[in-house]
Amino acid sequence: MSHHVTSSDIAIHGDHLDKSKVSTLKTILLIVAGIGTIVSLLALFGVFGQFFQGTYAYSWVFAYYFFLTLSIGGVFWTLLHNVSNSGWGTSVRRTFENLGSTFPWIFLFGIPLLFPQVNQYLFEWMNIHRATPDGQTVKEHLHHADHLLYNKQWFMNIPFWLGRFAFYGIGLSFVIWFLRKLSTAQDTDPKPGVERVLRARYHSTYALIIFALTITFTGFDFLMGQDYKWFSTMWGVYLFAGTALNSMAVIVLICTWLISKGHLKHVTGPEHFHIMGKLMFAFTTFWAYITFSQYFLIWYANITEETSYFLIRNTGNWNIGMICLVVFHFVVPFVVLLQAWLKKNPKYLSIVAVFSLCMHALDHYLITIPERGVSLGKIKPEVFGDITTSIPGAFWGDIFAFVTIGAAFLFVLLRALGQHSLYPNRDPRILESANLSN
Amino acid sequence: MSTTRKRVYGYLAEFKSASALYKAAEKVRDAGFSKWDCYTPYPVHGLDGAMGLKRSILPWFVFFGGMTGTATAFTLAYYTQVVLYPTVVQAKPTNIFTIPAFFPVMFELTILFAGFTVLFGLLGLIQLPRLNHPLFASKQFHRATDDGFFIAIEARDEKFSPQGTRDLLADIGGENIELVEEEQD
Repeated sequence: MSHHVTSSDIAIHGDHLDKSKVSTLKTILLIVAGIGTIVSLLALFGVFGQFFQGTYAYSWVFAYYFFLTLSIGGVFWTLLHNVSNSGWGTSVRRTFENLGSTFPWIFLFGIPLLFPQVNQYLFEWMNIHRATPDGQTVKEHLHHADHLLYNKQWFMNIPFWLGRFAFYGIGLSFVIWFLRKLSTAQDTDPKPGVERVLRARYHSTYALIIFALTITFTGFDFLMGQDYKWFSTMWGVYLFAGTALNSMAVIVLICTWLISKGHLKHVTGPEHFHIMGKLMFAFTTFWAYITFSQYFLIWYANITEETSYFLIRNTGNWNIGMICLVVFHFVVPFVVLLQAWLKKNPKYLSIVAVFSLCMHALDHYLITIPERGVSLGKIKPEVFGDITTSIPGAFWGDIFAFVTIGAAFLFVLLRALGQHSLYPNRDPRILESANLSN
Repeated sequence: MSTTRKRVYGYLAEFKSASALYKAAEKVRDAGFSKWDCYTPYPVHGLDGAMGLKRSILPWFVFFGGMTGTATAFTLAYYTQVVLYPTVVQAKPTNIFTIPAFFPVMFELTILFAGFTVLFGLLGLIQLPRLNHPLFASKQFHRATDDGFFIAIEARDEKFSPQGTRDLLADIGGENIELVEEEQD
């Protein structure tokens, strides 16, 4: 910041994105997302045959969960900013909220998972539950069919699963809707006081619990549930580490883009990027710490149920991907992000952010996709052939699903950015944030 | 009455407030002095920039200190557990693939060595601990820990001159300007 920012530098009626400049891009994104979604739904409900239906179900979960983590992360940073009474990030808080506000829309892409046509390929435990003969309760059936599922039945049963699904969608959507509304109402209030800031802080406390339950148990239900015999107590925190890191990477990219378009003038500068870079650095390290701990516990204990995860992923070419994660998801960003000058430069930090997002995609690819060949070969060998490390050709479905949900994600993000002022121009702490020095 | 000649340490000047000190520091910086310092009762935000201080070399010490820790731990664990006395635990291999078992030690020693380098590197760079400081000879200097904001310009600075430096300090708002002489033992 070259000079001391005063209230005369703040856009009194807000700093609005020129919607006409992004309308072409938005239209293209909407068309891509629309066509992609229609084709995807046809594939998921078996119009192109069982082979595409089964393989594409995994593509869908991969792409869906990848973008869901970014949205959930936006909610997380909003909540953390409010609850920690932060002053530094007031000028970028609206970006947190805008990213978080994509959550209700992205969550809708999970609806196909509710249908047996789709989840029969993903969640084998549901198939065993559904195979209950007439006249028996599910519990009695499981007692004979699979004792592990019998013991897990209090948690892994279809009604509870559906209830949890509704809870994730409604809970966090309401949280981000409420907080964003509270924040944006301040922009036009002729008498903006501290009341909204205090209310946001108060309501963010218990909302953090809703967030924690959502990131943990969506991970359990959508990802860990793909192999009901496997479990890891670090799963929730592992997904959270990647979520916090990469949603911050998206926030860095959005802020860099907005500044290049002439927005966020006087209020966001190198000092803010320095802090966001430091948070990325912290969560790069945290991700490595958690991921290694999970591997280490499983490697040391050597229990059959637990090792299956790494046996699949350290076999064949998947192992190259896993080693890439160690080097490129941790070592390289760790060393690069150590430099203070780099974190203060939006362009260089954006390059690191893009790199980090690529690694996040690889991370989530390795979470979901190696399971495909194993599960499908077990569920329907007559269609998918024997159990295998990977199904040839299914890769194109992964790209298609990623582009579809990615286009939808960018569309709702651009829409959110255009709705309100790009920073809370009447927040009592906006000047404190603009004059940040660290 | 003493006839011994004392060595001059430099000029000490008091300023009214933190902001007065901040502005004065910018002017001393622009005048081109290098051997001088500010003394305040509490940390003043951004004063390092106003003084024109360069980034410390300490992070580099810490980086290589940490790397030394990693290498030490790896060597220690590898040599004892693989070379010297191979220990088979739960049928785990005793070769380079035992490395996950060494990671916690490598992590801990990285932190420990980095932490030691921070502490001792910092003490070395700021030349602490020391028994005395020439400024303690000043009668007013103890207020730097209470309500005084001071700038001291050392006589060994190339730009120092008995009259010019005194005038400069007076010009930029310094009060109670004092020529500090080192105490004799």
